[in-house]
Amino acid sequence: MIQTGLIQNAHNDLLTDAPYDFYGLRLATGSIDQRIKVWQLDESNGNWKVEDDWKAHDAAISKICWAHPEFGTIIASSSFDRTVKIWEQTSFGSQPEAQVNLNLNGAGSTAPLQAASVPSTSRWVERSTLVDARGTVRAVEFSPRHFGLKLATISSDNHLRIYECLEQSSLTTWQLSEEVDVLALPSTSSPSSHSVAFATPTQTNATLDGASASLVAQALQQSQAPSGQTRPGMGNREADGGWCISWCKDRYWGEVIAAGSGISGVVKIIHMSPSRRPTTLLALDPSPTPYPSSSEATATALAPTSDTDTPAPHAITSVAWAPSCGRSYHLVATGGRDGHVRIWRVKPADEGDADADGEGEGSDHRWTGIVVADFDHHRSAVGRVEWNITGTVLSSAGNDGRIRLWKATIGNVWRPAGSIGVEQTEEQQDNDVTMDENAVTE
Amino acid sequence: MMLRDRLNVVPPLVGAGCADELANAGKTLFGTQSPLNDSIAVAVTSIRSPQSVRRAGSTDADDQPVYFASADMVPSSERRLFISDTSIIYAAFQNLTETASAKGPEWLQSEEGSRMVRKLAMDYVNFTKECWIHASQSSDPSEEELQFSGDHYRCLYTCFSLFTVLYVPEYGFEDAPVGDELMEWLNVHFIEPSTEEGDHLSGLEHPWQDENFWPYLIRVTLRGLSKAATFFFGVLLQHPCDDLQRLSQEIIPLLNSQPRLQDFSAERDFSYASRRWKDKVKTLRIELDRVPEVDRNDGFDNWWDRFSDIVSILEGRGPVVQKICEDLGADWKEVSAAWGVFTDARLRRQDLPDVVAQVLEDMPPDPTNLEDMIYAALFSGDPSKALLHAAQLDPWLAAHLADIMEALSLIERDVNEDSGLTIREYYVLSYAQYLHSDPALWRLTVAYMCSSGRIGLHSADEILIRVPLRLQDKHRIGERDKSVESARTRGLSALLKDVNETCFEYRREDVRRVVCRMAAQTFVQEQEYGLALSYCSSAEDWAGLGRVVDRVLEEYIANGPEQFTRYVADIAPSLQSYRTQPGAHGIFIYRLMFAVRYAEFHQRMLNQEYQDAARDLITMFKEEIVPKSWWGVLLSDSIELLRYSTALLFSHSGAYILLQKLEEVFMRAAQGSGEDYLCMLMRKSNASREKEALDRLKLTRLTLAKYFARCTVIGTGGRPIADQNSSATF
Repeated sequence: MIQTGLIQNAHNDLLTDAPYDFYGLRLATGSIDQRIKVWQLDESNGNWKVEDDWKAHDAAISKICWAHPEFGTIIASSSFDRTVKIWEQTSFGSQPEAQVNLNLNGAGSTAPLQAASVPSTSRWVERSTLVDARGTVRAVEFSPRHFGLKLATISSDNHLRIYECLEQSSLTTWQLSEEVDVLALPSTSSPSSHSVAFATPTQTNATLDGASASLVAQALQQSQAPSGQTRPGMGNREADGGWCISWCKDRYWGEVIAAGSGISGVVKIIHMSPSRRPTTLLALDPSPTPYPSSSEATATALAPTSDTDTPAPHAITSVAWAPSCGRSYHLVATGGRDGHVRIWRVKPADEGDADADGEGEGSDHRWTGIVVADFDHHRSAVGRVEWNITGTVLSSAGNDGRIRLWKATIGNVWRPAGSIGVEQTEEQQDNDVTMDENAVTE
Repeated sequence: MMLRDRLNVVPPLVGAGCADELANAGKTLFGTQSPLNDSIAVAVTSIRSPQSVRRAGSTDADDQPVYFASADMVPSSERRLFISDTSIIYAAFQNLTETASAKGPEWLQSEEGSRMVRKLAMDYVNFTKECWIHASQSSDPSEEELQFSGDHYRCLYTCFSLFTVLYVPEYGFEDAPVGDELMEWLNVHFIEPSTEEGDHLSGLEHPWQDENFWPYLIRVTLRGLSKAATFFFGVLLQHPCDDLQRLSQEIIPLLNSQPRLQDFSAERDFSYASRRWKDKVKTLRIELDRVPEVDRNDGFDNWWDRFSDIVSILEGRGPVVQKICEDLGADWKEVSAAWGVFTDARLRRQDLPDVVAQVLEDMPPDPTNLEDMIYAALFSGDPSKALLHAAQLDPWLAAHLADIMEALSLIERDVNEDSGLTIREYYVLSYAQYLHSDPALWRLTVAYMCSSGRIGLHSADEILIRVPLRLQDKHRIGERDKSVESARTRGLSALLKDVNETCFEYRREDVRRVVCRMAAQTFVQEQEYGLALSYCSSAEDWAGLGRVVDRVLEEYIANGPEQFTRYVADIAPSLQSYRTQPGAHGIFIYRLMFAVRYAEFHQRMLNQEYQDAARDLITMFKEEIVPKSWWGVLLSDSIELLRYSTALLFSHSGAYILLQKLEEVFMRAAQGSGEDYLCMLMRKSNASREKEALDRLKLTRLTLAKYFARCTVIGTGGRPIADQNSSATF
């Protein structure tokens, strides 16, 4: 690992997100200081220069996401002010048009438009504000391009919301096409499992053992009375609610998204289709199940759990769906407050299976998932996991103050592949000099 | 080149070993990976929800840095040259394996096939050698420090040449003894004893008095360097001891006559000669043993022991050779090579691993020395293990070795069920990933990926689709000079064309289309509508084409007719080609047609060709190419023409058409779907309500009524002008 650059002081407060654009030539940074900055890479010297800088929200920014460039230069930002905003970069000379578009917002718009109070330094125009969330919007992610200009958000009210842009030319009209309470969404699509088998496999005759029964109870309590009980993990309300989302990048399986919500430690893989309610294809549950599950709709960890009793579940705060890149399976990485980075190998249902079981109910695919890697190197809560563009390198960030990288070996075993920290090292006296060249000041 | 696995960035935020401090301060790191080159941006964030730790106004006073780190160093110029030049050999090898798969699996074993494999393998060897020489020579301190040292390239060269010696022999020599070749490899790459030593000794009058004399002589004998050996045995003819003189006299012809495989046309002759030669060595041994104990020391050394060692080497006594090597500080490689020359002159490639296993038991390779581990694995007949170490040394080496190894069936060809990759694909993709650290090498990254199966192809898609097209940099030039700009546009499109061609080459049609769509989107933003349109059609993105036309029409709403007509001039030429092209893009073509015709109309208005403008207007309605949303605008446009006082510009029937359309708009508006017909007019006239637009159309209605009145009046006195030019009658 080598350091290749530095922005000395990006914001006036801690950063919250810093996604690259599609090409990696720009970086959008969001901060607690409520501002978004867009930085441009100068490829000749590797320096980053701030291009635009504006106050985007009335509270800290939580996440930023770039839309696919075939839709234009668009970002979505989510915030603790419970809103999601859509921003478009306007080219020079088309400012009047921006005005026109704002005026255009006619009937049918679900979001009230605010007057774009954009500072003159910014070419980014606020096109729409989505105000449906009843809590902090913790994550926002545009769907893969083939599903059109769509956006998923998840917020501390446990709700996963999908928005669809109805007018790509103006970006002003976003329709809330799905709104799902992730916790309340049954873990399986079997209609009979609605009331009782809250977090259990599809088989209706599957008996509830202690562990999963307590999970069920917990989940029920969560959904009914989301506050006022003692929780494992961080032990405060922050652990509640929706945390993270990640779209399946493949077109083939339809609109599928992984969502982590609540403190159960379970990530649900949810399928959305225009004709039906969203259904859970699979629940990624790392807690060991003592009985062999005949149904595979709930994936369980294969990690050896011989000695201790069932660990207390913790919130999964980050999920990342790897680009499948022609693999016959999907890789979904999760990071959570239990300090674990896990990589799940998720296999979609065979077409044959689906035909046999699914009979017109296209959703009854038996997706399966197993944990292929489970790392606790961070030894503290994991805040973020992310894949590179080919799904070959996973990065994870933990409260141990290190970013860790993970790669698969020739035998397809995932292994540590380096780490980055901010500790002083002895040799750094010398390095300081060289790094100054790359220092960027605003 | 190995980089540290554990990086700490600068400026540091906490002291050494105090990573906890960060968490104690309620802070933690997060990272995001760059699609450009897999580098990682690292920044500091809050552990807890910002809402709970931060009240308005209280901000973190510290700097908020963003660090950038990368797993690999971007290849420097010398390395890049190496990468691109070897990629040519790689490409040639891909062609070869393609030919092989077309000609059947046996073909690579045929004379023609294996000669070609060997030729390309030797190309790698020779090329790495050149790189080594080049890198070693350019150790000029004034020059920039090389990213990879000369020694690194030497190592690649040595590994590759050992690989060819052991696994890619000349055709027909697969089953031939390997000893001589191995010793040659050792002598080329690990020169011992040094030339300086020889020079020093040869300069002495009585070199045997030098402590290095005998070790030197033993080493040159061991290495089969008969020239040097015979020279110094010649010197020993001056030695005061008669026995030694005599024995030296006898050993010289022996050393000179040791049979070498290359001198024989048939192996049978070679082994016969070897046996004869060994018999002579035995005779020498007998003579040596006859020397009485008392004469065995010359006062400096026990020459007899040393001479005996040399004879033992010639005899090929394994344990003695091993001991001699240990004494000389030589390693297992030397023992193994000597084994093939002296102990078992008929040692075959397939038998080498057994010998090496024995040697390694006593003289293990240095586990901290990757290079040595690679040699050990290659000697031991374990190519997979060699790759494992090679990958650590340099991903280049593992990828290119694996490529040849698979072709020669030295490694498993089956796909690993878990990863979906073969061994070769794994290493080639790892190398490609290394290449990705330099975005400028995207062509090579893609080429290597595309030669690595299904997963490789799809990985290449991710790279290809993200090649920065740099279409957007126009504004940064700040240059408004038209000629410069068009040159720039051509240059930028060249990159886009390059990506397009690469997509064609590897049949990545889906990617090509997406790239075209993204390019079209950028061109729209840059108001290069002509280019946008052509890329939409190249992507067969008809809906996108419609959107481009919409944007052009927007220009009319936003900036008026002059700008609009200028932009349409860009897109008009494409209309002709679409018309002739069949396809399911009808509705969007109509929109394009409308844009072009509407621009023509405005051009005529600007040129004050009102008569033609009026005819255009009517024709557009007649041919039903006007989108409903534009009816209001066109009807409102007609006012100026209707009011034209010099002549009546519309035929009676034409005016009727206007009236008809006008009434339809009013009727639809009354039914509640006025928006469909009036939205553009509302925007054009900055009307906030539908009523304002309708009021405007009422003006059209009034003007139209007056026009009919004028028609009636003039109709009594003469024909309207329009009918003088056309055959329309009413």
